[in-house]
Amino acid sequence: FGSTRGMWPGRAGALPAAIGALCRALPPGSRPAPETFRLAKFNRPEAVRAGEAGTDPPDGYCTQIRFVKSVLRYHGYGRPEFYQLPSDGSQGSRELLLAFSWLLNRINLLEQLLTANRVKIGDEASVCTVSRFFCLSSPSHQLDVDVRYLQWLNGRLRFKWRSLHVDRQEQCKLLHKIHSYTSGCHMDQTIGHFSVTETDLIRQPDSYKQLLQLLESETSRLEAFLEWKQLEPVYWHWMVKSRERTLPDEREFCAAVRTITEAVKLKLSDLKYHCAHKKNGMHGSYRLVFKDKRSEPITNVNATEVISKLQMEEATLKRELKRLQEECRHKLDEIAEGLVGVICIPPIKR
Amino acid sequence: MSIVTVQLGQCGNQIGYEVFNAICSDFHSTHGLCSKKENESYQEACKERFFSEEKTGVPVARAVLVDMEPKVISQTLSMAARSGHWKYDHQSHFCQKQGSGNNWANGYSVHGPRYREVIMNLVQKEAEKCDRLSGFFTVMSMAGGTGSGMGAFVTQCLRDAFPTSFILNQVIWPYGTGEVIVQNYNSVLTLSHLYQSSDALLVHENDAIHKICAQLMNIKKISFRDVNQVIAHQLGSVFQPTYSSEGASQYSKSPLGDLMESLVPHPEFKMLGLRNIPQMSENSLAYSTFTWPGLIKHLRQMLIANAKMEEGIDWQVRPPLPGHPVPPKASPNKALHFNTSIANLVVLRGKDVQSVDLGGFRDPALYTSWLNPQEAFNIWKTPRAFNKYEKSASLVSNSQFLLKLMDNIVGKAWNMFASKAYVHQYTKFGIEEEDFLDCFTTLEQVISSYASL
Repeated sequence: FGSTRGMWPGRAGALPAAIGALCRALPPGSRPAPETFRLAKFNRPEAVRAGEAGTDPPDGYCTQIRFVKSVLRYHGYGRPEFYQLPSDGSQGSRELLLAFSWLLNRINLLEQLLTANRVKIGDEASVCTVSRFFCLSSPSHQLDVDVRYLQWLNGRLRFKWRSLHVDRQEQCKLLHKIHSYTSGCHMDQTIGHFSVTETDLIRQPDSYKQLLQLLESETSRLEAFLEWKQLEPVYWHWMVKSRERTLPDEREFCAAVRTITEAVKLKLSDLKYHCAHKKNGMHGSYRLVFKDKRSEPITNVNATEVISKLQMEEATLKRELKRLQEECRHKLDEIAEGLVGVICIPPIKR
Repeated sequence: MSIVTVQLGQCGNQIGYEVFNAICSDFHSTHGLCSKKENESYQEACKERFFSEEKTGVPVARAVLVDMEPKVISQTLSMAARSGHWKYDHQSHFCQKQGSGNNWANGYSVHGPRYREVIMNLVQKEAEKCDRLSGFFTVMSMAGGTGSGMGAFVTQCLRDAFPTSFILNQVIWPYGTGEVIVQNYNSVLTLSHLYQSSDALLVHENDAIHKICAQLMNIKKISFRDVNQVIAHQLGSVFQPTYSSEGASQYSKSPLGDLMESLVPHPEFKMLGLRNIPQMSENSLAYSTFTWPGLIKHLRQMLIANAKMEEGIDWQVRPPLPGHPVPPKASPNKALHFNTSIANLVVLRGKDVQSVDLGGFRDPALYTSWLNPQEAFNIWKTPRAFNKYEKSASLVSNSQFLLKLMDNIVGKAWNMFASKAYVHQYTKFGIEEEDFLDCFTTLEQVISSYASL
């Protein structure tokens, strides 16, 4: 980082410290070496491979690159030079660094990774009663595929979903067994029974070593994260400096930023309005605890509550589906009327 | 990974018994031809799938027995108990004190609804015993009266009570020259109703199995027991534990799910046929050896030429050559030479399964144009031999196997219906002419879909 040394007289050690903290806050196994960042800035090819390590994609290097691109596209990264990078990883570490930094800021990547990788002692259940409306845009070009093949794929998807359902039911059944067998064993009265991890610890006491390791690793990541938060401005300053060389006219840039900010404000208020009535949705991960009906209600979320909210959502969606089906039926009837000698046969009534 | 079997009517109960018997005897087989560890895994998977534990230690079949009369059920219960190796849960059955006439409409519209709650409680109890419920397997005849009508109704109830579970109907196709005059009506009604509720229909034809008994097994006086035992062997060869994907480290925990996903994702195509090779009497088995290439070659030709067994295969039938369009099959009444498949599943058991070459089944010419062989062809295998056969291969096929049969039966039923023969027997119990028409249209749609492959 020869070019920056002169810029940071009093904080020569601050940048490596910041980058070091950033790396240590990432989950083990997806952790690039701090040196990689320096190399990346100078577009060194080795940095690309190491940089990719931050992701967790399926096999194949080409697939890895495609995966990274698709993740960034999903989050709205708009820099064309990034998407034009070759799939063999021969160049572009600078673009990659830029993209990584963008993602870091955009989706609070570190916080998300820390949350996703935290050590869970209790059994978890994730709750989501907020329905999301996905707006799928229709394909802009005609697909030359036999509709029967699409029906086949749709059927397979449904079967996989049903298999997932079977998996979940099995999981619930087994969790219930553990919770009821260990009822009354837990020191914490508000919980009352063991979780799977706790039960496993009782049965195989030696596994505490592994748990301890995980906890220690988590602690050090959290400490690194705190360090990073202190030093973060240094990193961003370094990033901006490296971009300054390729930025267009500063005034143009500011104007562009203003337009974007306004467009975003508009979209945000739109979204807020749309989601207004959904503000009280329960959301997130909870520890799953089995409670007797007679015990006192606690401040957290009740399964019965969640079930009834989901049932209401289900009813709404079913009504919507029925309405759309009726619409479809009318359209089909209209079309059938226009055809000579054709009768529309609906599926068998039950 | 547990399957709950629902045995419906006389036919369903007799066959169900033979299936559990075949599975149990395979479980105890000492001719596994595999390592002890492998055998233990297999046995554990088999046990979990079909039986539940009881305090006495004798495995209890995961089954519900339903029939309108008590005779067959009590016979079935006692035969199982006498075996000493397995038994039924003696609470898990439903029957009435007296018969109820041989009438499909009576079974569907009267007895079904009347006894729905009792029967579904029994099913619920069995389902609750399972840690992991893979789905339901129902066994019934297609052309029977009350038994078939009730069977169709019970399948509907299963679907309503378990909307996401997998349901496989095993149906017995009647003899072509059957004795019951309204069997074609019953068949049409059963088939069309089952098509709405279940995920797949696995068909066994009485005529075909009868021939197997006569020509392959060399049985002189063929009894229902002989026919049922062949069916049980064929079913066992598919549903005993297997590894359902390459590189799998444990036996499949979702046999029904795997089956459905590979064969019947398209809702219009649910008819499955089953072929098993080799089949012979136990005496001949001791003196026979087989090679995998030979077995696979025969099985493939059985598929292409729609042969029911490994004798009398028409070797002249060939798949169409690439570039040459398949001659249009204007009417399924014309003799279909080449059997087009949508999807196929081959199950291999026994010695050297790893080395079997199944390239012949991946030939795109075998399959309909809109599905490629990578997606249309699946393999399950296990090195553990089944039921004393050193090598055994089964084929479950979603193809035009049953097209001609269906067309036949629907044609005959329609001719009767056109003259309104015997229709009053149904209308008096609430099956109206319009319901008949709905059933005919459903089946015509299925026939048309299969014919256009």
